[in-house]
Amino acid sequence: MMTYRFKFSKGEEIKFIGHLDIVQAFQRSIKRADLPIAYSNGFNPHQQIDFASPLSLGYVSEGEYGDLKLTQDLEPKEVMERLNAVLPDGMVIKELIRRRDGVKNTMASVSAGRYKAYLDSRITPKMVEENLENYFALKEIIVMKKTKKNFKETDIKPDIFQLINASEGESAIIEMVIAAGSTRNLKPESVAEGFYNFVGVEYNKFKIGFKRMDIYMVIDEKLVPLTYGVEF
Amino acid sequence: MKNAIPDEILLQVEKPARYVGREVNMVKKDPENVDIRFAFCFPDVYEVGMSHLGLQILYYFLNRREDTYCERVFSPWTDLEEKMRENNIPLFALESQEPLRKFDFVGFTLQYELCYTNLINMLDMSNIPVLSCDRTDDDPIIICGGSCAYNPEPLADFVDIFYLGEGEVLYDQILDMYKAHKKAGGSKAEFLESLLELDGLYMPKFYDVSYKENGEIESFKPNHPKARKTIKKVIVTDMDNVFYPEKQLVPLIEVVHDRVTLELFRGCIRGCRFCQAGFVYRPVREKTAPTLLEQAKNLVKCSGHEEISLISLSTSDFTCFPELANGLLDEFKDKLVNISLPSLRIDAFSIELMEKVQEVRKSSLTFAAEAGTQRLRNVVNKNLTEEVILDGCKLAFDGGWTKVKMYFMLGLPTETEEDLRGIGALTDKIVEKFFEIPKENRPKPVTVNASASCFVPKPFTPFQWDAQDTYESFGEKARIAKRSITRKQVRFTYHNTKMSSLEGVMARGDRRIGAVIYKAWENGCRYDGWTDKFNWEGWTNAFEETGVDPAFYANRVRSYDEILPWDHISVGVSRQFLINEREKALRAEVTPNCRQECSNCGAKTFGGGVCYDDIQV
Repeated sequence: MMTYRFKFSKGEEIKFIGHLDIVQAFQRSIKRADLPIAYSNGFNPHQQIDFASPLSLGYVSEGEYGDLKLTQDLEPKEVMERLNAVLPDGMVIKELIRRRDGVKNTMASVSAGRYKAYLDSRITPKMVEENLENYFALKEIIVMKKTKKNFKETDIKPDIFQLINASEGESAIIEMVIAAGSTRNLKPESVAEGFYNFVGVEYNKFKIGFKRMDIYMVIDEKLVPLTYGVEF
Repeated sequence: MKNAIPDEILLQVEKPARYVGREVNMVKKDPENVDIRFAFCFPDVYEVGMSHLGLQILYYFLNRREDTYCERVFSPWTDLEEKMRENNIPLFALESQEPLRKFDFVGFTLQYELCYTNLINMLDMSNIPVLSCDRTDDDPIIICGGSCAYNPEPLADFVDIFYLGEGEVLYDQILDMYKAHKKAGGSKAEFLESLLELDGLYMPKFYDVSYKENGEIESFKPNHPKARKTIKKVIVTDMDNVFYPEKQLVPLIEVVHDRVTLELFRGCIRGCRFCQAGFVYRPVREKTAPTLLEQAKNLVKCSGHEEISLISLSTSDFTCFPELANGLLDEFKDKLVNISLPSLRIDAFSIELMEKVQEVRKSSLTFAAEAGTQRLRNVVNKNLTEEVILDGCKLAFDGGWTKVKMYFMLGLPTETEEDLRGIGALTDKIVEKFFEIPKENRPKPVTVNASASCFVPKPFTPFQWDAQDTYESFGEKARIAKRSITRKQVRFTYHNTKMSSLEGVMARGDRRIGAVIYKAWENGCRYDGWTDKFNWEGWTNAFEETGVDPAFYANRVRSYDEILPWDHISVGVSRQFLINEREKALRAEVTPNCRQECSNCGAKTFGGGVCYDDIQV
């Protein structure tokens, strides 16, 4: 048995495929690649593969993570190549390592995420440059957050760790590091919404593109990628 | 490649993945580098269309030609239609995301009558004139196939070519001819004329129809010297060597059937008298087990599916079934691939087999009894006795099954109240059978789900002359059947009676129904087969506005000498055979199946299949 941790990207081609379908697509790819995947015991055996954090529909990503377990110890390079040959368009494994035992699974490890928000043309790079610092300096940032039943005013400021003006040419881009995981979780959409409110432009989430850049865990009080220090 | 629909819109509609393509095993070609562009349209939503075997076969069949790019098109769901119309976005094909107007052929598969308004809607959304007579040489050629094409008349005003039969036979020839014609700069009218050489193609423009005062057809005649009087379907005779795809499109979202589909044979030996498929797909033509095992291995490997489904009209009648089933079990038992076995007759062999393939989860057991009494089962030639049903249930209950599904039909010819009450009597007996097994051997309480559909007389069946019940009458009959059930373990449901009524009109409609379909579409009817979208008022208004009486088509008995709208089409089965079958039905006499005895239906003229097998004794 060998567990592997992998990092993959999710491109434009596949951004409308939701999390459960991505899991299914991975499972079928493993079968097509004919990899010796380990199965769980029990009445309904399922492939031993799990993922760090679901990505919202419509988002692209350069930093998705998962673990998978094989019944044989194959070379990581081979596993990665065999999978990349059969994964659907837009899904590419960038990194795959043997993972040592005794490490928390990816989902339990998640503490933060790095995202880019591609704002619509009503916001110029100049507006970002002039306002982002002041926005981040606010004592509290109140946005309406959806709860199970209705909307509630919430202060998202404590969950924002870093905001960067990442604009390129004519397009206004905000890069952010924000809380993610089971204890604290913030949607990048809320950060964008807060910024639109701050600069007084009506917010429409359908006009904004989002990309996850990476997912982090905390090791020695530092945010590090999920592949950091887990290699076998 | 850019999506036809901007992200901003895709993010606001249900399941945007329906509209972006790029599934596993999708064929990629440069549209600029092909001679022929073919849009394969399925006039229903993505998840339904992607589960259709015919699409999978023809997609790869057409794309195996280097000169042709076959792309897929599904009916956009109503939420996207609204946005596309608002933003003037024309309907597009998934592969290239390009509008349909650019294509040479726009082909539709007609699987059920209640998709006709979707076909009109898809043409309209493509900015292609809906009526054939309004289209020019710049518009694509509209071609339709599928089981509903056997009565093409309701769509005659909208479609250029109806393809009668199996796609593998003629498409190469049609496309070769088209390519040559296009290179020579010929017009569309000339191309259609040249197709008159081929059998199996019905082009409505070459035929004129006139009507009597009482509404019946007076004459139906070719208006072109080369147009055939009768057009005969074309079929594959050698199933082992016919093209079958080595790949299968694997959707990235959940669809109705997420599995490998393996086609065992075409046609059916049974001849149930209500079943159109049982007559129009004759004769039975089988593949051999080694061919199927090879195809199964291949398809599982290149799809990554965890389930393989054996497809046919009656799987238990497959002559190599034990060999195939055991071969599949050997191959897939350790690979965690499930084998799904629809259309099984319940007997000792199939129970044993089902126990092998589904060791843990016991699905439900299905019997298509169709009628509540033996008399009525004989009328429809359903070779299934109460004894067989109860014995099958006993075997299954002993094996640990506790769920039984029963299919019935309401409104079959000669049906009486006694037949309807027979539904309750039979389902009650099944429950009693369950209580015969010792209490300690019952893992769960038994449930019997009895579901009734409303009988729709179909062309090319012995009941093509019969009257269909009105929807009011269906409702009354459903109530009688329901009241006849006394056991609380039996749950009874029945199909939407108004939808069945409409299906009855479409199924045996003539050219005059085209105007009604068009009007209904104008009235906003779409997705007529979807209970939540079904717009009865839109349809009743359409009948009123066009002055067409639906009862003339649905609820009227025809005489044997009346010209039926589909009489210019031959499926091989003779009219005389259908008449004989109807007369036998009225006398509640059964007809043996094709392997017991040849009844000379006429399908032997195709020169293959079961008609030439040695008759088993």
